[in-house]
Order: sequence, then structure tokens, then C-alpha cells
Amino acid sequence: MNVRAQLVMVFNLDKCIGCHACSISCKNIWTDRKGAEYMWWNNVETKPGVGYPKKWENQDKFKGGWVRENGKLKLRALGKGPTLLNMFFQPDMPKLDDYYEPFDFDYSNLYKAPPGSDQPVAEAFSQVSGERMEEITNGPNWDDDLSGSQVYAVNDVNLKDSSLVSDYGRMFMHYLPRICNHCLNPACVASCPSRALYKRGEDGVVLVDQDVCKGWRFCTSACPYKKVYFNWQSGKAEKCIFCFPRTESGQCNACAHSCVGRIRHVGVLLYDADRVEEALLKPDDQLVAAHRDVILDPRDPQVRESARKNGVTDQWLEAAEKSPVYALVKEFAVALPLHPEFRTMPMAYYIPSLSPVISSGGDLHELADHGTFPLLEKMRAPISFLASLLSGGNEEIVAAILRKQIALRLFKRAGNLGQPIEESILKNAGLDEAGANKLYRLFTIAPYRERFIIPTQQREEQDPQQRKGTSGFGILKKTRGPK
Amino acid sequence: MLNSFIFVVMPYAALALLIFVTPYRFYSNRLTWSAYSTQFLERNVLFWGINPWHYGILPVLAAHFLGVIAPGPMKALLGNQNNLIIFESIGLALGLFAVFGCLALLLRRVNTPLLKQVTYASDWVLLYLLAAQSLTGVYVATFMRWGSQWYLHSVVPYFWSLATFNPQIEYMADFPLVFKLHAACAFLIVALLPFTKLVHMLYVPARFLMDPPILYRWRSK
Repeated sequence: MNVRAQLVMVFNLDKCIGCHACSISCKNIWTDRKGAEYMWWNNVETKPGVGYPKKWENQDKFKGGWVRENGKLKLRALGKGPTLLNMFFQPDMPKLDDYYEPFDFDYSNLYKAPPGSDQPVAEAFSQVSGERMEEITNGPNWDDDLSGSQVYAVNDVNLKDSSLVSDYGRMFMHYLPRICNHCLNPACVASCPSRALYKRGEDGVVLVDQDVCKGWRFCTSACPYKKVYFNWQSGKAEKCIFCFPRTESGQCNACAHSCVGRIRHVGVLLYDADRVEEALLKPDDQLVAAHRDVILDPRDPQVRESARKNGVTDQWLEAAEKSPVYALVKEFAVALPLHPEFRTMPMAYYIPSLSPVISSGGDLHELADHGTFPLLEKMRAPISFLASLLSGGNEEIVAAILRKQIALRLFKRAGNLGQPIEESILKNAGLDEAGANKLYRLFTIAPYRERFIIPTQQREEQDPQQRKGTSGFGILKKTRGPK
Repeated sequence: MLNSFIFVVMPYAALALLIFVTPYRFYSNRLTWSAYSTQFLERNVLFWGINPWHYGILPVLAAHFLGVIAPGPMKALLGNQNNLIIFESIGLALGLFAVFGCLALLLRRVNTPLLKQVTYASDWVLLYLLAAQSLTGVYVATFMRWGSQWYLHSVVPYFWSLATFNPQIEYMADFPLVFKLHAACAFLIVALLPFTKLVHMLYVPARFLMDPPILYRWRSK
């Protein structure tokens, strides 16, 4: 057993309202720079939709993630030799158009324009070339709220029946906020010929060493989630840093902090690093079970002993015990990894969305028959869609979670209305009353200190002199281009 | 006078810059140590420029070095006329390949508006220098036949004389101007290497080839 600690974020999709507050706070702190305008380390997509960059889930196009071959894991894209032969022109790299050409508006024209018969307008210009843009044809949320669904949402790879998005009676959508998953088996790290990407041992955060990166660009396509970006100005790769300057001092990430829906939870998971590869060799539909298996119980004395040997401190073990993430991912098993079949073992987990609570029949009488909430099979969002997104196609795992959510709502509704509670409802969903109350608290009223349990790294005691002035993205030295 | 400048001053100056500036740049600021790829902004023409350029110039460059490092075996190999013809033909083909790539890259910089923002004076200087270098190289290969043979008997001894700090420019003095231009360009490129994005050449993928795929960094270890 080789126990390591990982900081993990859980997203409750049932509560995400798609307001993009997370994206904006992230952008303001980290990517409001030349060359990084097009990057959204945190972005929110509408599902069904093609996302950002467009069609990122389609690995035939970008060749991201890992595949199994002869009982071993192998990068889908290129082996080491072919990587070196393709350094000059990276065949799978996403291009600017796959994201969008970043733009801003020339507001100075509003007061600088000469007198004329027309009202002056703030014209759009490209933040790359600086040239005026006649027409903006793409953006980071171009298919937000199913806009242009006949062009975008119908191409969602998770959608078995694409006619769903053209039928108003059966249409559905939910939001999918995404950050870097800080995977246990990161394909970006494995693909880097400079070895600039690495996983921090202490908290599992995956980072790009800006000094070592030489801009070979293999990480940008190797990441199946397309969460490593190429800065066209500095010529180096950049990615979500899990706000490590904040988490090191116990504050939660900027995206999570600004979340108005309070959908995010951050906490510690302990995992067995020796069993990661073995787990990832399982077939697609067993991958969620394998994920859960690799995650260890922080109360188990054997696990604690082994964790201490790896330098996990008592403070971190205590945080792991209280971790809301452990409760959601393992204890209640309601949170699922995004596309586990990419085999990077992502460490961001999603509670599948129950909404919209309208049956696919669209008939309110039918709803009432089943006690306000529809039957699982009658939900608008097809279980096959959620399973394709979150469980490697295993519909039973998704169904079990939705059953828990429905049972929880029926239980709390009965409680609020002073009605008798049928015990079988909770029991059939695999919950008990204490568990249901804990889950209810986590889903709804848990305050900051319960949603985010982040132990500090006590860096101030370790190497304060060396760290002075280096927190953040650390571009203090001269880089190419304008200041 | 010109000969002394090209064949004594330039090589030593270039070498001095390479030896002293490169580590200085490496240790003082590696944030500018990048290949500065522009594939993200333009990829269609790049494919036809960057691949021919690198796959053309790298073997030709390697052959130049091989002659200096192992003149004996090379002389033995090229003493056979068949080998010489094959070697020369491949060399010329690769040279033309490189010229084609270099010109494509040059025109691409001219014709792509999106690239203006990431094109600096050093990019132009390098592209023109490399184009001049590969063009003069192809000229020498075409009009001064059997260069791979006489290179071993003139340029290689000259390089060795440089290494022993006893530069013998007599080896080079009687070559035509185009050839001297080729040499001067080469020294200029070496001199510019530590100041420009050419530092991306100084890369050995040893760790990539040997390390396990996932890299960890521990503060405590």
C-alpha cells in the first residue's frame, strides 16, 4: 500500500445554474494576460453541447487520454519515439479556431469618433491580431443554453438519439463546469518531452514548470479534457493550478469560492498509488467501481499508518476524515468521475443532475402518480446520456445515484410537510435516516467550513526565503513581447 | 583581411558567445527558453514548411559534424565512387528539401496576418539567415562538385586547426566567395544561437526516454 493524499473537487450538477461566476473569477486572477485571453482554466458548458474547445470529448479528433493495449496502458496519441519525430509539427494539437479567436471591443471609439450622422459603436477587434473583426463567429460559450442546438448540441458524442434536442417536448439540458481534473494518471504529464509537467506529491496538483517547458505542445492534445493550453505569446503551456497559492494557506479555490450555487466541495482523498494502473486496466463499465476502490478509508488504522510513512501529516489525516469529498465520492457514492474511460483517473467528481424534474411524457398527471417526482425511467435527461458522460456507459451506477437523490427529496419533503415517512423509500435507495440528513446538509445548507476542508501546507515554516515573491503564476522575469 | 575576419575572428567570437551566453541565459531566465511554436495560430502552411526544413537540415547538419568528428571513417566511406555519388545525391536532395521548407516558412510569416503579433526582428533575421545558409549550401553542393569529399580535406583540417588554437586559414583562403559566405553565415548563426529561439536545439530527450510516464515532485524528497 502506497498511500498518498489528493485535493479533490466535487461538483453538484443538480445545483449549477450556469452563471459563469467561477469562470470569471478564475479569468480575473489567472488568465487575464497576453497570450492567455482565449484560455478558460475553468469553464462552464451546456450539456448536450460540443463544449470548449469544440468537440473536446471526441478522441478520434484530438487523440487524448490512454488506451489499453496488451494489458498495458498506453497514450492514445504517440509513443516516445514517434513523439520525438513529430516535435516540429504536432499532428493532434487543437488550433485557435477549435477554441475561439479572443476579442474585445474598442470602447474608445465611443468618444473618439468624429461627428457624423450615425451613433458611434464599440467595434470588435481580435485580441490576437489586433485587427478589427467584422463578425464574431465563435466564443467560449457559443452553444450556451442550447443555442444553435441544431449545429452544436446534436454533435454531442454522449447523445445516442440526437433528435432529442430538436423536440421541445423532450428537450433537456444541464450545465457542466470543468476545471483541470488533476488526474492520478495524467496523460499531459506522460506526454511532455521536456518533463515540464509534474504532479505534486503532497496534494496531487498537476503543474507546468514554466522554466522547463519549451513549448513542444504534446500536452495540449494528450489531455483528453483539453485543459492544458498553449500560450501563443510566451510559447509555453499553461493550465489550471488548482489555485495552489490559495489552497496552501487553507483558502478554497477562486472558482469554488465565487460559486453562487454553492455546488462545489473541496477536500482530501487518500488513495493507493500502487493500485492506480491496475484499476485503469478494467473495462469501461467497471472503471467507476475501480476508482472507488483505489480511494481509501481515512479512518482505517492501516491506511493512516501507511499515509504517515509517505509524509501525510496528522493535519491532513484529520482533514481526510472530515472530507466532504470522501463522503460524496466513497461513503455515499453519489459523485462520479467525468469520462472515466479516458483512463486518466480524473480527480474531479460530479454528482449527476436530477433536474429537470419533468417526465419525458410531459404530463403532470403522470407525475403525480409517483409522488411528485417522476420515475427514474421517465426522466428527461436520458440515463444513457449521463452514463456516457460520467460512468463509462454503466447505467446502473447512474440510476443508483438518481434513486438516492429522489429518495432524499421525498424524505425531506415528507419531513417538511409533517407527513409520515415511508422507511422503505430510503432503504430501497441504500440510505438511512442519519445518512440522508448528512447528505441533505451537504447538498443544501453546509456552510463554507463544511464544504471546503482544506488543510494548509505550512509553507511559511518550510522555505519562506525561497518562496518570497513566487506565489501565483510567477511571471516576474522578462518574457518575450510587451510588458 | 576578409579571410582573417571570416575564418579567425568570426568562429572564435561565435564560439565564445555560445559558451558563455548560453549558460548565462539558462541560469538567469529560462522563461524565454522556448521553441516559440506558432502552430496554434497557423498550421496549414506550417506543415509544408517546418517538416521539410527540419527533416532536410538535420541530416545535412549531422553530416557536417560527422566529417569533423570522424574524418578517417568518412574518407574511407567516400573513397568509393558509388558511395560518394549516393551520399552527394541524398545530401543535395535534403538540401533542396530544407530550402523549400525555409522559403515556405518565410512566406508564411509574410502572408499570415495572425502571425504578426508573434513575429519579432529575431524571427526575420533567423529566417533570412537560414534561407541564405541553405541556399548557399545548395549552390556549393551543385556547382562545386564532390563537396563531401573535399570538405574532409580542407574544411575539416581547418576546423581542427581552430580547435588547437592554431587557425590555418590557408585551407580556406582560395575558395570562391559563395563558399566564404556559407561559412560566414554558419558562424553568424552559431553566434546568434544563445540570443534567439534557436536555443530550442539544445535539447536532449534523455529523461523523457528513460523516466516512468508520471513525474512526481515532492518538496520533502
